[in-house]
Amino acid sequence: MIKNVFVILMVFTVLIGCVQKEILDDVNLESGSAYDYVGGKIKGTALVPIYLPNKEVQNKTFSASSNLSRDFLRDVQRQSSDPLVTGSLKVVLFGESLAKENGILDLIDSFQRDPSIGAGLYLATAKGEAKDILEGQYGKRGNAIYLSNLIRHNMKNKDIPKTNLHRFLFDFNQLGKTPYLPELRKISKDQIEISGISFFRYGHVVDTIPASKMFYFKLLVDKYSRGTLKVTHKKERAAIESIRSKYKMQLSTKKPFTVNVKLKVNAILNEYSGKRVTPKDIKEIEKILQKNIEKECTLLTNRFQKKNIDPVGYGHFVKSKTRKFNFEKWKTDYPHLKVNIKANVMITESGVIE
Amino acid sequence: MEQLVPEKAKISPFLVFFLVHTMQFGIGVLGYQRIIAMTAGYDAWISVILAGLSIHIIVWMMYKILETTEGDIITAQSFVFGNKIGKLLSVPFVIYFLLIADTILRTYIEVIQVWMFQDMSTFWYSLAFCVLAIYIIFGGFRTVTGVAFFGVVLPAYLLFSFFFTIPYADIKNLQPIFDHSIKDLVMASYQMSLTYLGYEILLFFYPYIKDPQKSKKWAHLGVLFTTFLYTSLTLLTFAYFSEGQLQKSIWATLTMWKIVEMPFVERFEYIGIANWNIVILPNFCIALWCASRILKRVTKIKQKHGVILTSLIVLITINLFKSRVQINTLIDYTGKIAFYINYGYIPLLFFLVLIVKKVKKK
Repeated sequence: MIKNVFVILMVFTVLIGCVQKEILDDVNLESGSAYDYVGGKIKGTALVPIYLPNKEVQNKTFSASSNLSRDFLRDVQRQSSDPLVTGSLKVVLFGESLAKENGILDLIDSFQRDPSIGAGLYLATAKGEAKDILEGQYGKRGNAIYLSNLIRHNMKNKDIPKTNLHRFLFDFNQLGKTPYLPELRKISKDQIEISGISFFRYGHVVDTIPASKMFYFKLLVDKYSRGTLKVTHKKERAAIESIRSKYKMQLSTKKPFTVNVKLKVNAILNEYSGKRVTPKDIKEIEKILQKNIEKECTLLTNRFQKKNIDPVGYGHFVKSKTRKFNFEKWKTDYPHLKVNIKANVMITESGVIE
Repeated sequence: MEQLVPEKAKISPFLVFFLVHTMQFGIGVLGYQRIIAMTAGYDAWISVILAGLSIHIIVWMMYKILETTEGDIITAQSFVFGNKIGKLLSVPFVIYFLLIADTILRTYIEVIQVWMFQDMSTFWYSLAFCVLAIYIIFGGFRTVTGVAFFGVVLPAYLLFSFFFTIPYADIKNLQPIFDHSIKDLVMASYQMSLTYLGYEILLFFYPYIKDPQKSKKWAHLGVLFTTFLYTSLTLLTFAYFSEGQLQKSIWATLTMWKIVEMPFVERFEYIGIANWNIVILPNFCIALWCASRILKRVTKIKQKHGVILTSLIVLITINLFKSRVQINTLIDYTGKIAFYINYGYIPLLFFLVLIVKKVKKK
């Protein structure tokens, strides 16, 4: 009896194991992908790192055109020796023409639907063709790792506002908020840079700000922003690094809607072209910075209002302060929203020399 | 009243905490957020608390019923309706627990099939799971309780994984509070009560508790702990997802794991789902145990044979549910039946027991 039970149990254990196996050495891990809009069709490119015996990583790309994002993967399978799996996808790029003309909504859907894709996936738009960026040769650890590290460290320590797949979907599905993504530009075969931020409305890029304005935008959307700013003070130039920032929004009046934004920035002085900085200079630099921030942030807000996008989430904020908020009415109210930005900059240190 | 259970088969009162909590906390956790948010928007967390508190009244009623009749629900029904009708009324409970067992196992298998292995066979997995459950139930109620204890303690570390969502939390989502009507909140509480179901097992294992008076505190604590977990998870979910985004996620809890990043594991959901096996194992065992226990009390079938019979029924019926829609219908119906039992039949039985007790005294 016991022997029989044992045999049956053994059979179970063996049979339960009858599912699709995916052994790491026998699959092609898609680590990055790029989408472009070429000739009325979506052209997808999958980036697969190939680990060579001498510890180098070769970047292999597969491309195919189709109408659906998933379709492209199926077509690419016909070119690949091992099955392509998406479990370790790190970065996805959207080409300029695709993001502007066709929109990326259909593609985003497939990332959301696929259980094997993480929410921490980095999305970015490309200046020019996205495929072109994936086909470069950056770093020694493969392009996907390079690109995702590039985006990650700039979000953590520098001027790029935090985004990933989850934040994108969060903003996209939030009434009164629109998503944004960093924009990448290829400089040469082995060089790449983050060139700005693209703003979306219904999956289409409608506006892009240059790198010089990114920090001001980051101040408006991220809680603890670090980043660098350049200031001219009495013909001298100074570089300021923000250590941490806080923003506080207040709804001051409801008819018409007025929002007060208070920005508090703690910074250090990194570089100064003059001979020495006195406390008086620092006070003046703080003043200039405050004025710059207030001016630039107001300009950005006005720009967003004109383009009818709301990446800062003013609508979401006003909703959280208003009962029975009407988003239909907000659509006409938003262009007339008044935003007062007040900045408070404090330079705490100026390095190890005076 | 006759002694139903020998002394050595009884469990310590504090273990009631684990039995009640584990039965409440199972498969529903993976995706209840979307349903309540559909009705009461992001005020639904209030409904979670309301529904949780209402359970305490039901638990109090159950204890009153059980104390008066000194037995399980079948004793109570015999007390009120007489021996034959009392036993007859217990038969639907067998079907009810089989439904619960089916729901638990099928939903879990669906999760595996969607998130991990598309081609996993429903039948073979259920078979292995049933064999394990039968083995555990053969060990008696004390073993089932032991599994319930480990079903709570072992996967408890998973709770920490939800802290990964905190950097993404946006409190503005929850404001303004009370932006929905009382009617919406009550409606969402009703939907939430479906997720909370399971505490009615108290009616069946009561005779197994040593010192039942002392177990009261633990039963209420178990319910309170479930309420606390559900409320915190609801708040976290609502802060993490925007409303439109949540509506698209069938398993919001699992989707939250997608953000977890660890150096040694690329996709944390795989660990989470695999661990969920331990979470639902006691639920499945308790459901089967209850079904076979009623069979034993009502008919002359031995519990050992009853377990095999009931698990066979589960094995056959589980294959009937194939698509998302069918599984959803199953979950809906189980939830509704549970609601009517907990909030309709138990209060009714409570009043009947009180009345009959007074009449009999006279």
